[in-house]
Amino acid sequence: MSQPMIEIADLQKWYGDQHVLRGVDLSVRSGERIVVLGPSGSGKSTLIRTVNGLEPHQGGTIRVDGHDLDARGQAGAAARRATGMVFQAFNLFPHLSILDNCTLAPIRVAGLARAEAETQAMALLERVRIADHARKFPIQLSGGQQQRAAIARALAMAPKVMLFDEPTSALDPEMVGEVLDVMCGLAESGMTMMVVTHEMQFARDVADRVIFMDQGRIIESGPPASFFADPREARTRAFLGRLRA
Amino acid sequence: MSACAFPSLPTRARRSWTAWAVGLAVALAALVLVAPALRWLFWDATWVGQSRAACGPAGACWAMITARAPQILLGFYPAGHGWRVGLAVAMLAVGLAPLAWRRRAGLTMLTAPVGALACLALMGGAGILPSVPSAYWGGLALNLIVGAVSAIFALPIGILLSLARRSTLPVIRILASAYVEAVRAAPLIVVLFAAAVLVPLLIPPQWSLDKLTRAIVAITFFEAAYMAEAVRGGLMAVPQGQREAARALGLKGWQVLVFVVLPQALRTATPALVNSFIGLLKDTSLIYVIGVLDITGVLRNAVSDYAWQGLEPEAYIFVGLTFWLLCFGLSRWSAALERRAARAQGAPS
Ligand SMILES: Nc1ncnc2c1ncn2[C@@H]1O[C@H](COP(=O)(O)OP(=O)(O)OP(=O)(O)O)[C@@H](O)[C@H]1O
Ligand SMILES: [Mg+2]
Repeated sequence: MSQPMIEIADLQKWYGDQHVLRGVDLSVRSGERIVVLGPSGSGKSTLIRTVNGLEPHQGGTIRVDGHDLDARGQAGAAARRATGMVFQAFNLFPHLSILDNCTLAPIRVAGLARAEAETQAMALLERVRIADHARKFPIQLSGGQQQRAAIARALAMAPKVMLFDEPTSALDPEMVGEVLDVMCGLAESGMTMMVVTHEMQFARDVADRVIFMDQGRIIESGPPASFFADPREARTRAFLGRLRA
Repeated sequence: MSACAFPSLPTRARRSWTAWAVGLAVALAALVLVAPALRWLFWDATWVGQSRAACGPAGACWAMITARAPQILLGFYPAGHGWRVGLAVAMLAVGLAPLAWRRRAGLTMLTAPVGALACLALMGGAGILPSVPSAYWGGLALNLIVGAVSAIFALPIGILLSLARRSTLPVIRILASAYVEAVRAAPLIVVLFAAAVLVPLLIPPQWSLDKLTRAIVAITFFEAAYMAEAVRGGLMAVPQGQREAARALGLKGWQVLVFVVLPQALRTATPALVNSFIGLLKDTSLIYVIGVLDITGVLRNAVSDYAWQGLEPEAYIFVGLTFWLLCFGLSRWSAALERRAARAQGAPS
């Protein structure tokens, strides 16, 4: 077995006085699909935001693709570059066309020539099935299309891990499926994924492992079949019970 | 809806009746009031002549305006060099042209200062053309040049100030805020006086800038405070998620600012920026305090001439109308830019 793609050890995070992550340990293999569940405020978003360096942490270590996220210079940058992020609110850049959204970072960060970046972006837009809308602006697209564009934008930087924070929570129900489809395809292509979601069907069908967080800790984890059929912890059972109700 | 079957149609019909009546009454009253004014302005006016004696007693004496037209436009800029003023104003326009080019509007940040410097160089001579000291610059061209050049340099300074006000370093934040608040509390005319009178006392004469340059610098830093406020409003309107998405893609801090935050902030701030520029353009008349003759000064000069004595109403009506046309044109133009930007992004307009 090669080294893990993500390795989190004793992660501690405070917002002011509030202890939000209280010693999280997690190791994610290359190609593994993790779904993160937990009640509101349990620290799911905070966890994946610290993994890609959007939030600083105050204790513990995070290694992505073998690089320490907190290292200065090259190694830290390599760790951050290894992750791509998809947000609940899409966060597409409204002043840029879909194509320009997908080429901004490849051109400005990775240093690609515009033509090359556009060819690559078009291939990705093809893959998320919105190549026809490449010249449109975000506001002209439906929510589902915008979220697929946001996935393409993140993929354009060729990340090794994709992080998703409730990617379908801001969508109308009829658009949830098209985004989950794209994510499922991504999983099949072997991408390492960490997904915060309330879509239990996605967790059952796609996840290799489900982790359950409560009050800043991972209190239970396991393959979806056993996790859903036979949760060990009372808090997990309560959470799943509320979902079914 | 049927549950609340109020007689909305009859009401609307009656209201439209009264609307017609009121409209008609207002129009009639306006005609009665305005007709004499229109007669005075146009019908009974005298358009050409060499002195007030050529003008009839019942109408406006526009002969003064036509007789002094070259000065009104160019001030006392030397005869035969008027083309330089025209070209100088054109340089400003060329520098601002990328604004109209949606995908490259940001280029204006570079081209506009170049245009502004070219404009000043042409006016002054830059050691190549015969030198024309700034005391001879004047007329409407001077208002346009002072207004545009100041605004062009004020915007980048204003952007820096607005960023400084959001800095994480308290010293920078406090200094920038203090500057903006202090300037906004000072009347421009005081600032101009300071630049004209105080600065020469404080700075050794061999370092001193030319009077008009000092005024332009003063107006620039004055205007920068207002633009900083406009830009700050725009910056606050950019959602935090935009910065996060940009950072998650690996953009560095300055790249997030230049490629993601500022383009959105400046677009939001455009109406406020144009608004403050319109105010600035009107305020350029205050440079009379440094003794140069802008359009207002030229006309004041004209009415103190024996040949045109007593024509203050014509002079001020003309100046007022000129500024109104300029400012109205500007606000229409900026509205058109906004509409086009919104259309390009497919926003419902
Ligand atoms: N920027 C912040 N500043 C201060 N406190 C924060 C901030 N972001 C999150 N928190 C707090 O940290 C805790 C964990 O928040 P987090 O957003 O990670 O929860 P979550 O599990 O993603 O919840 P949800 O399902 O509602 O999205 C919450 O108590 C929240 O109030
Ligand atoms: Mg969350």
